[in-house]
Amino acid sequence: MRSRKKTNYAEDYRLFRDGATAARFAVLGAALLAAPAFLPAYYVSQLVLVGIFTIAGAGLMLLCGYCGQISLGHSAFFAVGAFTAAVLERHGVPFLPAFLAAGLLSTAAGLAVGLPARRLSGLYFAIATLAAAFIVNEIIVRWESVTNGASGLSVPRIRIFGFVANTEPKLYAIVLPAALGAMLVVRNIVRAPLGLAMMAIRDSETAAQSLGVPLLRVKLTAIGLSALFTGIAGALYAHEIRFIDPGQFTIVVSIELLVMIFIGGIGSMHGIVLGALFIITLPQLVAVAKDLLPPAVAQQTGLQAAVYGAVLLLFILVEPRGLAGIWRRITHYCSQFPFYRRGSLRRARRFAKSETW
Amino acid sequence: MALLEVDDVGISFGGLQAVDGVSFAVEPSEIFAIIGPNGAGKTTLFNLISRIYRPVSGRILFDGRDITGIAPHEVARVGIARTFQNINLFDTATVVENLMLGRYRHDRSRLWQQALATPFVRRERLADRRHVEEVIAFLQLGKYRDTMAADLPYGVRKVVELGRALAAQPRLLLLDEPSSGLNPEEKRDMAFWIQDVRDGLGMTVILVEHDMSLVSAVSDRLMVMSSGRILAIGKPAEVQRDPKVAAGYLGG
Repeated sequence: MRSRKKTNYAEDYRLFRDGATAARFAVLGAALLAAPAFLPAYYVSQLVLVGIFTIAGAGLMLLCGYCGQISLGHSAFFAVGAFTAAVLERHGVPFLPAFLAAGLLSTAAGLAVGLPARRLSGLYFAIATLAAAFIVNEIIVRWESVTNGASGLSVPRIRIFGFVANTEPKLYAIVLPAALGAMLVVRNIVRAPLGLAMMAIRDSETAAQSLGVPLLRVKLTAIGLSALFTGIAGALYAHEIRFIDPGQFTIVVSIELLVMIFIGGIGSMHGIVLGALFIITLPQLVAVAKDLLPPAVAQQTGLQAAVYGAVLLLFILVEPRGLAGIWRRITHYCSQFPFYRRGSLRRARRFAKSETW
Repeated sequence: MALLEVDDVGISFGGLQAVDGVSFAVEPSEIFAIIGPNGAGKTTLFNLISRIYRPVSGRILFDGRDITGIAPHEVARVGIARTFQNINLFDTATVVENLMLGRYRHDRSRLWQQALATPFVRRERLADRRHVEEVIAFLQLGKYRDTMAADLPYGVRKVVELGRALAAQPRLLLLDEPSSGLNPEEKRDMAFWIQDVRDGLGMTVILVEHDMSLVSAVSDRLMVMSSGRILAIGKPAEVQRDPKVAAGYLGG
């Protein structure tokens, strides 16, 4: 490993590792700000989706990646966010209060799931959250007077005072700060006592408790925050796709979100964004590949799901730290350039610990 | 007044009376050792004090306050820290992060402050980091600061666990077999640190230990347990002369 000389304690509490990293992120930030100016609208819409899934991933990463609790219920929080915003705005509520309500209601849903589930961990926790996914979907289907049931709802444009987000770049102008804000909050929590307590719970509940970490409260906080982020993402998603129905918010979404953070790299900030990039670009790549494949293969249904599965399996076998792990290898290789030795990053292959996976 | 008072405490698992009517008191700034054969109930006693188990009978007083009924995580807040027999570190965290978690009981910041990284949180973190550095210097862990706990050699893992407990700045330190698995040199270091923790930092130490040379070297008083009961309590030399102890444990 490259070792750096630290000269004061504040360096362990920095937002970015060092000046060079901060500069790289500044360049990336500037590029993202300028993106709509030189990218075609289609790519901007893809960036909007990446931003939305980054927010949802930030929430799920906090709960699964850092606190070590696998949730299969995040489609529920995503749906609560989307439908709350859509229903309220259809009744004439302006975007900002509706957005706020979407966040609050999905947090409430998270806490409602978390209260009974926080005493569980591992597989049992996953199954308890799975129940939430089914219950919420069922409620949306049955509560026709409000949600319009299975026929779905069209979603009004985002309207903030005089500003109407009626083009992709305008929507992007709302999603980008939201995504950056979500990443910043997660980063702050991860380096604060709460984030450390979550990681402590992931690694050893007994030891965490013996140091004064209130297990149930920290877990509940993690679920609540996680649901909040995912709900906000849901509200933005509704405005991006402009028509929502319960069929888009099934358990499959929960699994997609999980696959996203696993492939991105569990327990890593980079992993959130890389995972979101992956989940948005993969379908495009599959579509391109379809043209190149023999028709007998290309016409098969479920090709995309099969590719997902294969990629996930490959990552678990070869690089459990996900895309973030690969990214680390690349930067490490570059920084060491002519002197790189195989195996100098061996510990990157260690699996994130949890009793059940 | 005694810092820790254990009064007629007992617990049973199934039909087994693991700890049976045990009473003793530990004075402030004392090094108090508990010895006994395997299955004597030493670690169970630790788990009762740190509330991993709830005693079926009896009371535990810490600094005059009844802590028998408080929540397990509150035990750290009143000022009791412990280590574990089979080392319980946070394996995917670095040494510094492990020690920073030792500071958790002193954290006073609120969720919104942490989420926004307010100056208050920043100041607290810096103060914690400075304190952790003192522990690192004391235990000579400097070269392992940024090493992942899982990658440490066994002896160092034991020291890091001690460091994590010290970072909590407890008034009472419970050490469960601090020297098991260490080589002679590491054992000497450990004995030195245990004494220094008391002499320099003024902490009270209770340790469970099998190594009699370490026990006689560091402890002020010694308690011998067997089958969940107390065989003898006293100064190490007295206890070793006690015929009951010789028969029951030290093997004549």
